[in-house]
Amino acid sequence: MTSSSKAIAACALIILLCIGTLSFWGTVQDAKDREWVTHTLLVVEKLQAVRIDITQAETGQRGYMLTGQDRYLELYGAGLNQVRQDMKELPDLTLDNPGEQEATRRLEPLVAARLAELADGIEVRKRSGLLAGVEAVAKGNIGERSMHQIAIQIGEMRQTEAQLLGKRLETAAASTRKMKAVIVCGNALAVLILLAAGFVIHWETGRRGLAEQDLKQANERLERRTAELSETNIELESFAYSVAHDLRAPLRHIAGYSNVVLQDYGPKLDGEGRRYLEKIGDGAQKMGRLVDELLNLSRIGRQELSLHDTSLDKLVRHVVEDLAPECSGREIEWRIGGLSSAECDPVLMKQVFVNLLSNAVKYTRKRERAVIEVGETMQNGVPVIFARDNGVGFEMQYAGKLFGVFQRLHKAPDFEGTGVGLAIVQRIIRKHGGRIWAEAEINKGATFFFTLGSPENNTGTKPELAIRNEVMHAGQN
Amino acid sequence: MPDRIEILLVDDSPEDVELTIRELRRHKLANHIQVAEDGAEALDFLFCRGSHQCRSFDHPPKLVLLDLKLPKVDGLEVLRAMRADERTKAIPVVILTSSKEQKDVVEGYHLGVNAYAQKPVDFDQFSKTIREIGMFWMVINQAPPAETFLASKAQGA
Repeated sequence: MTSSSKAIAACALIILLCIGTLSFWGTVQDAKDREWVTHTLLVVEKLQAVRIDITQAETGQRGYMLTGQDRYLELYGAGLNQVRQDMKELPDLTLDNPGEQEATRRLEPLVAARLAELADGIEVRKRSGLLAGVEAVAKGNIGERSMHQIAIQIGEMRQTEAQLLGKRLETAAASTRKMKAVIVCGNALAVLILLAAGFVIHWETGRRGLAEQDLKQANERLERRTAELSETNIELESFAYSVAHDLRAPLRHIAGYSNVVLQDYGPKLDGEGRRYLEKIGDGAQKMGRLVDELLNLSRIGRQELSLHDTSLDKLVRHVVEDLAPECSGREIEWRIGGLSSAECDPVLMKQVFVNLLSNAVKYTRKRERAVIEVGETMQNGVPVIFARDNGVGFEMQYAGKLFGVFQRLHKAPDFEGTGVGLAIVQRIIRKHGGRIWAEAEINKGATFFFTLGSPENNTGTKPELAIRNEVMHAGQN
Repeated sequence: MPDRIEILLVDDSPEDVELTIRELRRHKLANHIQVAEDGAEALDFLFCRGSHQCRSFDHPPKLVLLDLKLPKVDGLEVLRAMRADERTKAIPVVILTSSKEQKDVVEGYHLGVNAYAQKPVDFDQFSKTIREIGMFWMVINQAPPAETFLASKAQGA
C-alpha cells in the first residue's frame, strides 16, 4: 500500500470514528430528551392527581356531611392524605423550572385553603349534626370559588408544562434530525472515500503489475546479457592465454639464436654486429617479460578468490623483506603502521603490495633518502589503505591512464617497467570488490589508495569487462 | 651395440630441440640424445616398437625430457603410459614445457613425474635451466640401475 492509499484509508477510518462518536452522543442526548419529556408528563399527571384527590376528599366530605357515615369520612381522609402527599411531591418535580416552582408555591396556599374549607365542613357536621351539614353543602359557593382558583392555577401550570413539553419534543426532534443528517452524510462520505481508496489501490496495483512486468523483462534481458558477457569473457580469457602462450616459443627462439650467434660467432663480428645481435636478444627478452605479465594478468582474472582473514601488517612486512635485494645500497625509511586485518586472498594481496611497493622503491631511486609509508585511514566511514612515497610522482592530469595495461607515465630510459603492474593491482582490488585511485605531485611523490569491499563470489555470474577493456587498451598502445 | 641413449628429448619444436641439445653438449652433460617429435614416436621408442623394434627394455634412457604440447599423443598421455607399465615405470621423467598452468602441474605430479620445469623465454635463464637439469639428472642423480628393469622384464609381455 502506498502512502496515498494509506492516507485515504486513514481518512475513512477517522470519519467512521467520528460518526460512531456522534451516534453515541446522539443516543445519550436522545435518552436525556426522552427523560425530559417523561418528566413533563409526570408533572402534568401530578397536577391532575392533585385535582382528582381534592375531588375525592370533597366527595368524601360531602358524603359524610350528608349521611354522617364513617365510610365517607374514610374516603375524605384518604383523599386528604393523598392531596397532602401530592403537594409534597410537586415541588420536587418542578425543581427544573423556577417558573413552575413559583407556580407550585402559589398553588400550595390555594390547596391548603380548600382543604381547610373541607375540614371546616366536617367539623360543622360533627358538631352541629345533619341539618347543618346539608345546609353547608347547599351553600357550597366558597368551595366552588376555591376550586375554581385551584383549577386555574393548575390549568396555567399544565399549559406551561405543555409548552415545555412542546419545546422539548421540538428539541428532541431537531437533535434526531441533525443526528440522522450527520450519520447519513458521514456514512456517504466514508463510502465515497472508501470507493476512492478502492480506485487508487486498483490503479496502483495495475501500475505495479506493469512495473513488475517491466522488471521481469529487464531481468530476463540482463540475464541473457550476463550469460553472453560471461561467455565472451571466457573466450577472451582463453584467447589471451593461448596468444601469450604461443608467443613464448618463437620469442625464446629469437633470443636463443641471437645469443647462440653471439656466442659462437661473436669474435668474428665487429662491435656494431655484436650490438645489433644484442638488440635482437634484448627485444625478444623484453617481449617475453610483457607476455609473462599479460599471462599473469589474465590468470588473475580467471582465478577464484581464496579468502582468509589476513594480517595486512605481517603481509606488508614480508613484502618489504622480499624487496630487500632491490633496496640494497639505498637508504629507505619504511613507515608501516595502522594496518588492520582484512578478509582477502593473501596470495593476491601480497602481489598488490609487491607491485605497489616495488614501484615506490623504483620511483624514489633519485632520492637520497626515500620515505615509503604504508598505512590505513578512514574516509567516509570506510577503511582505506594507502602506500605513499616521496619519489618523482606523476602529473595528476594523466592519473586516468595509470591503471591501463601497458600505459606508462614515464619514459622507458628513465624508469624501466612493462606498464602492467598497476593493471594487475587494479584487477586484484576490483576482484575484492574494492576501488583504487592515486594522488601525486611532480617531484613530491605519489600516494596510492585502495579499499577492499565485499568480495565477488566467483560463480561466473558477475561479468568482468575489465580484461576486455585492458586488451583493448593494449591494442591502442 | 649402439651406445646407450642417455636422454630421450620429446619436443615438437626443432628450434627448442636444437637450443636444448646445444646447451647440453656445451656443458658435456650428455653425448647420446634421442629426439622424438611427437608422443607416438616417444612411445614407440620407450616400448621398443615400430621403428624402434630393435631396442631392448634393458637399456632405457637415464632421463626423459618431456614437452607437453605434442602432436598425435600429448606429453601427459606419454607419461601415463610410461607409469602404467612395469618396464618403463621407473624411468626418470622431467616435464620441460612452456606451460606453467596449474592443472598441468597438478596432473603431471598425479601421474608421477619426477620434476616439472618451465622453459624460460629469457635465453640466459633457459641456458641455466637446461644446464642445471642436466647437471642434476645426469651427474648428481643416481639413475635406476639395470636390475630395476631386468627384474620387471620377466613379468613383461
